[in-house]
Order: sequence, then structure tokens, then C-alpha cells
Amino acid sequence: MTQVNPQAGQVVSPSDLADPAQHAEPFEHPRGRSKVRRGRWFKEVGWRHLVGIIAIIYAIIPILYTLSASLNPVGSVSGSSILPQTISVDNYVALFTDPERPFARWFLNTLIVAVAVVIASIFCSALAAYAFSRFRFKGRRGSLLTLLLIQMFPQFLAAAALFLLFTQIGEVMPAIGLDTLAGYIIVLLGGALGQVWLIKGFFDSIPRELDEAALMDGATHTQLYFKIILPLVTPILAVTGLLSFIGVLGEFILASLFLRDNEIKTPAVGPYGLLDADRTNNRGIFAAAAVLPPIPVILLLPYLQKFIVGGITAGSVKG
Amino acid sequence: MRTRTTRTTVRSFAVVASVSFLLTGCSGGGGETTSADTTATTAAAPAAGESAAPAVRGDEDLIIWAEPPRVEYIQKIADVFAEENGITVGVQGIVNPRQEFITANSAGNGPDVIAGAHDWIGQLVQNGAVDPLQLSPDDLAGYSETAVDASTYESQLYALPYMVESVALYCNTEYAPDTYASIEDVVAAGQPAVDAGTLDLPLILQQGELGDAYHMQPLFTSAGGYIFGRDAEGNYDPTDLGLNKPESIAAAEKIASLGETGADTIRRSISSDNYLSLFTEGRAACMVSGPWALPDVQEALGENYSIQPVPGFAGMQPAQPFMGSQGFMVASSGENKAFAQEFVANGVNNEEAMQILFEASNQPPAMVSVREGVTDEDVLTFATAADQGAPMPALPAMAEVFAPLGQAWSAIVGGADPTETMNQTSETISQAIAGQ
Amino acid sequence: MDQRLTSRAEKKSQQADPPGQISAGKARGTSSVIGLLVKIVALGTIIGLAVMLTPALISTQQWGFLAVIWGVVIVLAVTYASRRFVPAKYLVPGTLLLVLFVVYPILMTFQLSTTNYGDGTRTTKEVTVSRIIGNAAQQVQGARTFELSVGSEGTATSGPYTFLLVDTATNDVFAGTPDGLSELDPGAVPIEGGTITAAEGFTLLDRRQINEFSQQGGDLEGFAVPTDDGVITAQGFSAVELFSPLEYDEAADTITNVETGVEYTPVQSGDRKFFTSADGERLSDQSWGENVGMNNYVRAFTDPRISSDFVGIFIWTLVFAVLSVGTTFALGLFLATVLNDARVRGQRAYRSILLLPYAIPGFIALLVWSSFFNSEFGLINNLLNLDINWLGNPFWAKVAVLMANLWLGFPYMFLVCTGALQAIPSDYKEAASLDGATGWTNFSKITFPLLLVAIAPLLVSAFAFNFNNFNAIFLLTEGGPFSPDNPTAGGTDILISYTYRLAFGGGAQQIGFASAISVILFIITGVLAALQFRATRALEEVG
Repeated sequence: MTQVNPQAGQVVSPSDLADPAQHAEPFEHPRGRSKVRRGRWFKEVGWRHLVGIIAIIYAIIPILYTLSASLNPVGSVSGSSILPQTISVDNYVALFTDPERPFARWFLNTLIVAVAVVIASIFCSALAAYAFSRFRFKGRRGSLLTLLLIQMFPQFLAAAALFLLFTQIGEVMPAIGLDTLAGYIIVLLGGALGQVWLIKGFFDSIPRELDEAALMDGATHTQLYFKIILPLVTPILAVTGLLSFIGVLGEFILASLFLRDNEIKTPAVGPYGLLDADRTNNRGIFAAAAVLPPIPVILLLPYLQKFIVGGITAGSVKG
Repeated sequence: MRTRTTRTTVRSFAVVASVSFLLTGCSGGGGETTSADTTATTAAAPAAGESAAPAVRGDEDLIIWAEPPRVEYIQKIADVFAEENGITVGVQGIVNPRQEFITANSAGNGPDVIAGAHDWIGQLVQNGAVDPLQLSPDDLAGYSETAVDASTYESQLYALPYMVESVALYCNTEYAPDTYASIEDVVAAGQPAVDAGTLDLPLILQQGELGDAYHMQPLFTSAGGYIFGRDAEGNYDPTDLGLNKPESIAAAEKIASLGETGADTIRRSISSDNYLSLFTEGRAACMVSGPWALPDVQEALGENYSIQPVPGFAGMQPAQPFMGSQGFMVASSGENKAFAQEFVANGVNNEEAMQILFEASNQPPAMVSVREGVTDEDVLTFATAADQGAPMPALPAMAEVFAPLGQAWSAIVGGADPTETMNQTSETISQAIAGQ
Repeated sequence: MDQRLTSRAEKKSQQADPPGQISAGKARGTSSVIGLLVKIVALGTIIGLAVMLTPALISTQQWGFLAVIWGVVIVLAVTYASRRFVPAKYLVPGTLLLVLFVVYPILMTFQLSTTNYGDGTRTTKEVTVSRIIGNAAQQVQGARTFELSVGSEGTATSGPYTFLLVDTATNDVFAGTPDGLSELDPGAVPIEGGTITAAEGFTLLDRRQINEFSQQGGDLEGFAVPTDDGVITAQGFSAVELFSPLEYDEAADTITNVETGVEYTPVQSGDRKFFTSADGERLSDQSWGENVGMNNYVRAFTDPRISSDFVGIFIWTLVFAVLSVGTTFALGLFLATVLNDARVRGQRAYRSILLLPYAIPGFIALLVWSSFFNSEFGLINNLLNLDINWLGNPFWAKVAVLMANLWLGFPYMFLVCTGALQAIPSDYKEAASLDGATGWTNFSKITFPLLLVAIAPLLVSAFAFNFNNFNAIFLLTEGGPFSPDNPTAGGTDILISYTYRLAFGGGAQQIGFASAISVILFIITGVLAALQFRATRALEEVG
């Protein structure tokens, strides 16, 4: 962050200072110098905006398209229009008023599952990452690699086994069997260590001297971990939390296996059912249902920006 | 009742279990427990709350599974049955209920009744997942013959039919106002508007890149092709695969003439993704589709549409679309078999229930007496179209047919040689059936 | 116990590194008391739970479960009640979950892969035989139907039970037991609405009770009254007289049709057996589950269909995974580098918007993309005025899949690279700038290698993910386009989508075979990833 910001570090002429409006708008430069500046500005900064804007267009077109479909009252994704010819919120109304599709409930279910999974898995990941970062125990590198390898096994390849397993569990403990959100949460928690690597990198970046000093002062390991270290790694916890939140939001293979009752479905399964079962009729409603679930993430993104700035892979750079 | 108490107790233990499971996750660390506490309660709360709510499976006296769009009207008769018997009935909308049902039934946590298409029966019987229905011939006399025929597999009735469906021809009366005797006439009706640039194409027959054997069937049969032959008793014979027979190859050539290298009427770019919007936006004169498209067509075109059975090729046989019959089946491993059998044999097997189903779904009823009271022309047209169709074969072998045959249609529509393609496809399918 | 639980636990943790074990007694403040309490309560709850569940598990003979539950208890107790195993205290929660819900299912998958489990083989042989015989049962000519009531000689729950029947045709009344049918005096039993509503010496069951006792394991399950023409069994709250022409002889293992005299014996076909007559006619498509050892693996390696397609698909799978990672990483890094400049205003806005594709659930985005690629009506051809048959041509379909996957994947790489870039200490760059390094040398000699070290493991994970990225293929092209001479291997099929179709295609599930394929895929992915880790370790040393 030592680069000089040309705008911030600019020499302001006295005449500018005299004009409060000008002062408030550092972008507006006196005419005579603007051409040169603009050229240089473009060469150093402006082209970056150009790239950014092109990237944004690329990123946003499919989303706009879905949005447009959701506002299209005919109820089907038309050939190829990004902007809807007619705008109506019929699909959204239909989404929330049809008793056979308790979308609000589905939405809530996703939030419950995602929040539960995120909290529990970040908790477990952070604990394990700390151990991998701070302790030198036998088989450390081996278990770290094993962990990474096991996680490459897509859980859905074991879908048949998971179904049988949770059928059995359900017989003994119906509360966490199939068709329960709790069961679904627990199966997703199989990946609770999914974020270990990212978090470990961050732990690595925190100087060990800090631990030593704290322990010298008489802190226990527990105190050290919860009171001192964990607060320092909040940024990475937020980022990995977001990653796993998004992961849960998009998960639908296990969800379709586990959540069959209408009341406990998530938007990932519910709308897919709409589309699958009713061919194209429900496209508009499907699109509406597709637009809504990411909203919590979208709302969280700007807030999490400052954490992302904190550095996602901080420690690993230093090795 | 004894069992019920034990279950509840175990269930409440389990709630505690899931709480403490997560709790230990954090107490392991030693200190702060707040975050994981929250997890535990949020995670457990819905499960605990729902065990009291009526909607969770296992808590109702009778559970019915159906495809999500059918839940609404099935719920109506379920409520009547529940009321009459003083029990609770739950209808669950299941994505891909056929496969889910087979898996769940064998694991012992499936439904008591499954509502589904007759062509599932072969696979369900293969898995021992449904029980035959013991209904008297008198009972069955009240249903459309094709529907009963479709629901019968290896001389046993497995489903109580309640509605029939098949594709028909929708036309936008602005461009195609008449009743057409042949598919050529249909194309000719829309062609002027296509030439003038007002329409994109005269006829929509969805294929997509992977093909669609279901929607191609009317034309295939009209041109003389067939998939499985029938034995003396009228049952489909999986050993008589007709795809490489001369009449089927001739039919494929006829279809190729409408394809992209021929008249360019049937195109791979028209798929299940866009067929309906193309029609509702008025970009085509006619469309081959089923009753599921009707609400959207009505909404978009108002009065300006007509429906008629799909006509065949000029001078050839009548088109015979696949006919499907929706019915109720009794699960072999359902928990509440007595209620399930009662529901199918008496709960829905009567005119009042069938009337309710018809009124709520507005789909062609399978029961003759209900059909007599239907005034809606569109429903009657679809009923006629279904009666003219041939039941989709319920054989497990049929599962090996749809994908390869669809791909063959896609290739032929795209310009591949019909003879070669049909021969190869037939070879592939017979190998797959032999390996079943 | 108390003493062992005190949170001096960590005091002697010799494994700790750095050597910070000079901890002192004064640390025992309030928080450690709370910690202790939490520990006791949690361990107590777990043990209590295990104790409570044990009787139910023993009574239902769920030995496996019992072992797992107590195993978990022991692991937790040993870890947290002892002062040793400090790293384990941190690792156990996540590891337990991993073992129970990932590793164990993998083992179960392996176990399934040694069976023929799937459609037609889900039942045991015993069940299959009874279903085949039951499915052949029909109402013979002149068969009677009855309205059914069920009476118990004791209380409703005690039994023994008797079917109290009203013939629907003649209104004659009968009592039926497993011993046979006897006619009742019509005057002795009141009939209302067609059914018997009371009978001397019997407590009548209500419908709910009949249903409950007909459940699996109930006294009325399989209740049948033998008659001269067959058996009377309940059908809901009616009863019918049925006759099945099939009989099973357990000793000879044959099913005989007594009407035609044809005998059916089990004959092997593929991975299963069917009851088949001497002239090759199958009695039923229903088979039963059996262990098949390594046969599914043998099939995977010897099936001519698989071996002829395998090489091509394997190469495309590798190409797909490498290019998916490569393109997303390149775009993500490029955007991160361009926008990660303090002079660029609105970075937050850029980042938020560029991350949007990542927030859209993949399966929705893929369905949207598949409509974009429509050759005639799709957005891409229309917008760019192209005439490419995206999904119908094998080459363009591959490009299409990569394009869609790029959109799905670049935000993640962008996020990760932005983070890594910001973590690279700026003094490195400054030092380089002082040495006269230009922007590009700066990037390629300093920034990029540092960044690569940080991100390499994530790239390996991304590779493994894409190697098995079923959704990206299946939701976009379903593996297509297919050539008519080979409908099993499509132009964009990767190993997982290809084998999925082999195992589940056509709707007939072969779970045993699919499990074998899953295990093989897991091994391939693991080996490839391990190789890459080796390579990145070398890289780490350079960095």
C-alpha cells in the first residue's frame, strides 16, 4: 500500500482551494492540464477501469438474463432477450403465495442449513488449522495431505452409501435421519474440515512470538486460542465462511436425496423440482427462485470486502 | 401405540444428541461456546419443531408421493379420504419420484402410495416395489380401456388410472385456423407467414441436441415405424425390436425429409428449453405438445388457439403418439398398507373422487363417466388424442430405448444417414437390452 | 476424574511447538472454570446419551451403531479428559465428522462395489421369491370378495385374531383364521354398511388398529385364510380370495407353475440370476442381491464399450480439468492484478460485482448458459452474429463447456488472487523497483512466483474438483453431442458423467457397478492430486 495515489497525493492549486465545490470533487481538474493528465491517467489507471467494466459486463449478463426471465410474466425464458419486454412481479408473487411451494419456508431452510454448516465447519476447520499450524506432531504433514486428498472425493459419489447410512441412522434417531434438516446438516458437516488449508495459511502468518509471549504471561492454550489468536484471524474466518455458505447454497445433489418433504426443502431442490417436473411452464418462477437465494450473499459481499482486504492467503506467502 | 411412544422418546434423545454433538465440537476447544450453541439450537430446532407438525413423513397415517406439480390436486382427494377415515394423509412432492421411490421403498422408508405414470410399472415390478391391485372386472369396466390396458403389466393391474395424457397439435389460429388432415398441410399453413418473415417456423416439434423420442413418436408411427412389436395378447414384446426393420427405416427417411437438410421444419435448436416460449410469443404457427403446455398457451394466446390430434403424413397411417396413464400404486413395503390399499381400492376408485381430481387438475380423466360430463373442448381433444395413442411400453427394456433413439432422431434431423443411424441405434439398444 | 479434568491439562503438553510450556497456575481464572464446566457437561451429556441409546440399540440388534456411538464416546473422553494429546483436542471434532460422514461412506461405497446392488437386485432372494409368487396371485373365476372386520379373542392388542367376513355378493358371513373358513350364523352378527360391527366373543379392531397390526412385524402381516380355491387375504379393509399358480420348492430351489407344470430355476445372467425355464423363458425380471466379489471391477476394466472409449474420455477429462483451472486462474489473476491498484477507485464495487457469478448456485447458472448456446435462438450466436452449432458439434461443445465453466469459476480465483496479492509485502516490490525492475519483470519474477506458492494447493484442489465436475457437464450438455454409432460416449463426456450414464443411464440403476466406478475415480483423482502435491512441494522449496 505504499504506492502513491496520484489523486490523493495531488498538489492542489490555490484557486482550487478557494472553490469549495471544486475541492469536494478532486476529479475535476483545471482545463488546461486535463488532456495530459487524462492521457496519463488512462495509461496508469483508466485502462484498469476499462478492463473492470468489461469484466463486469461478462459477469453480469447471465444474471441479468435470469432476472429478466423472472420478470417475464409469460412464464418462460424467451429465446434471447436480456431486457424483458414486459415487466411484472407475477412470478415472485406466485412464488410466495402458492401453498404447494412454500418458498419462504425453503428460503428459511437454506439459511438455517447454511448458517449451521458455516458456523460448525468454520469452527472445526479453525481448530484443526491451528493444530496444523502450531503443533509439530507425528504424521502432521501426512495427515494434512490425507485430509486434502480425502476431500477430493466428491461426497455425491457415495450418495447411495449415504442414503443407506442415514436410513439406518433414521431408524435409531429419527431426528437426524433422512428428511430432516438436521440430518442434512450433519451430512454436510462431513466436509467440516474443508477450509483447513486456507485458514492454516493465515495462522502461519501470525508470528509465533505472540503465542510464546501469551503463554509466558500465564495464559492457557485455551485462552490463547480463543482470546488472542482467533480474533486475529477473523478476516479469513469471514472469507472461508462465505465460501462455505455459497457452497451450501448451491448444493443440490445431496439435498435432493435428503430433503423430500415439501416443508423442509431448500430452494436448491424445490425449484429444480419445478423445472424438472413441469418442463418449461415454470421457467419464470424458477428464475425468480434462482434470483432470490444469492441475495444474502450479495448483501454480505460489500461487508466482507474489508476482510478480503485482510488477505486471503496471507501466511502461505511467507511460507 | 407402544411403538409410537418408544419412537418419540428415541426422537427426543436424538434431538439432544445432535445438540450435544455440536456442543462437543466446541467444548473440545475449551472456552467460548456461544457460537456453537447457536448452531446447535438452530440445527435442532426445525427437526424438533417439525416432529410435531403434520407435514413430516412418517407422522401421517398415510403417505402419498407424487411429482411436485401433481401434489395440489392429489391433496384434495387425500383430504377427503383423511376426513372419511379419521386419519391424516400427507402428499409429498418428490423430484424424480420413480427412482426415489424404488430406493426408499427398499430401504423401508418410502411412502404407502405412489402416484405415477404407467410406464414406471415395469421397473417398479422388477424391483418388487409395488403390489398388484385386486380389483374386480366390474370396477375396471368404468375406466378407459387404453388406460386399464396401460396399467396392466404381465396380466396384473398395478395402477388405478385417474388421468390420461398424450401430445396433440396446438395451432395459433391467427396463422393456422383449420383442422389439418396431414402434417404436410400443417407445414403448408404456416409457410406463407414464415416466407413473409412474420414467423420463425411453421411447426414446433421439440428435439434438442439430444433428441426426443417421445415427441417424435407420432410422426414415426404415422410413417410406419415401431419400437416394440406386440404379441398375440397385445403385450409389448421386448424381443421384437423394430427400429432396424424396413418400415422403421422408411419412416426415418420420411422424418429426415422434414429435418434440417430437408424442409428444415424439425430442428435441433428447438428443445424443451424454448419450445413453449417460441409458440407463446407467436413465432410459430403450430406446436406438438401435451396438456402441460395448455395454461401457458391460454394465457399468451387467449382465444386464438386450437387443439387437434397430431395428424400423420399425407397418405400414410394415422399418427399414434405415446399415451400415458397416471395412476395410484400401492407400495410393497409401505408402513401403512391397509390404508394404502383402502385408499386405492375405495378412496379414489369412485366417481366422486375422480370428479374432484378432474376439476382440480383439468386433465383428461381416465374414468368414462367423469369424461362424459366434461364440457371443456381442449380436455376432450386431449382425451381423444390419448385414446388414439398407444400406451408407452412399460417394459424395463424401454429404459434402454429413449436416450439412444432420441440421439438417433437428433442425428437424423441434423442430416445423418437414416438407414445407417437406425441400424446402429437398433444394434446399440438390443445389446443394452441383452445386457440388462 | 476431577483432577484429570482440571485445565492444567495443557500445562504439560510436550508436543506444543514452540516450546511455550512455562505456563503457570495463575492462569486458572474464571474462564478456565467455565471451560471446565462446559467440558464436564458436554462429556457427561455424550456419555449419558450413549447410555440412553444403548438399550434401544441392543434390542434392535444394531451392533454396528452401538460400536460407533461408544467409539465416539471413548475418543472424545480420551482426548478431552486427559491432559495429553493437545493437537488431538483441536483435530478431533472435524476429524470425527470427516470419518463418520466421508470416510465411512467411502468404505461403504467400496463394500457396495462388491455386490450387484441396483435395480432388480434390491431384495433378498427370499423376498424376491415371495414377490414373484404374490404378483402371480389372481382372483380365479368365481373368486369371492368380502367386506372385512377383524376380531380379537382377547383385547384389541392381544389377539389371536379372526377375519370376520361378509361376502359382497351373497351377504353370507364367515369367520376366517389361518386354520380355515367357517360360516357364521347371519343372525348372530349385526351388519352395518356391509361390514360386521360386533361379534360374540370378539373385540373388534378399528381401522387404525387393523392398519397398525398389518405393519411389518405386526400380528396381521401376511394373515391368510386358506380356502379350497386359494387363500383369502386382506386388501385394505376388504378381503379377496386369491390363487397363485406358482409354488416354490426350497430344497430344489425351483419355482413351479402348477397350472402349466413348467419349472423355473435360477440361471445366471450378467451379474445376477433369474428364475428361468428350461427353454429360456424368464419367470420375472426380478432378481436378488448377491456378493459378486471383484466382478464389478473386472467389468470396468474389461467391458469392451468402456475400454474403447476410455482413453479418449480420460484425455478430455484431463484437458477439461487443466483448462478449467488454467482459464479461471488466468482470468482471475489478470483481473485481480489489474484491479489491485490503490489508485483504482471503486475496488469494493468491482469486487462485489465480479463475485456475483460465484454467488449464483452453479446448477442454475449452468441451465441459463445451456440456453445461451442454442444455435438458433441462443444469446451468444444472436449477440455476436455467429452461426456456430455450439452444442451439436463436439469441438464447439467442448469450447462451450469451458466457457461456461470459466464464468462459474473465475470469481473464486479472482477472490483468492486478490487476497494473495494483497498479502505480498510491498517492500518486495519496492526493493525490486529500486533495482530498476519494470512492471512486467516485477510481476513475473516476484509477484507471480510468490503468489503461485500460496495458491498452488488451491489450484490442485480446483483441479480435483473439475476432474469430477459432474454438474458442469451434465447440466450443460448431458455429455453430448453423441454420434449415432456411439450413444454411450458423448463429445463432452468426462469420466464421471460417462460412467454415471453407464451405471444409471436408461433409468436402470446399477449401484454396485457405479460404486466400483466411484472407487476407481477416487483412486485416479487421488493419485493425480498426490502427484501434483509432489510437484508443488518442489515449487514451495523454490519459493
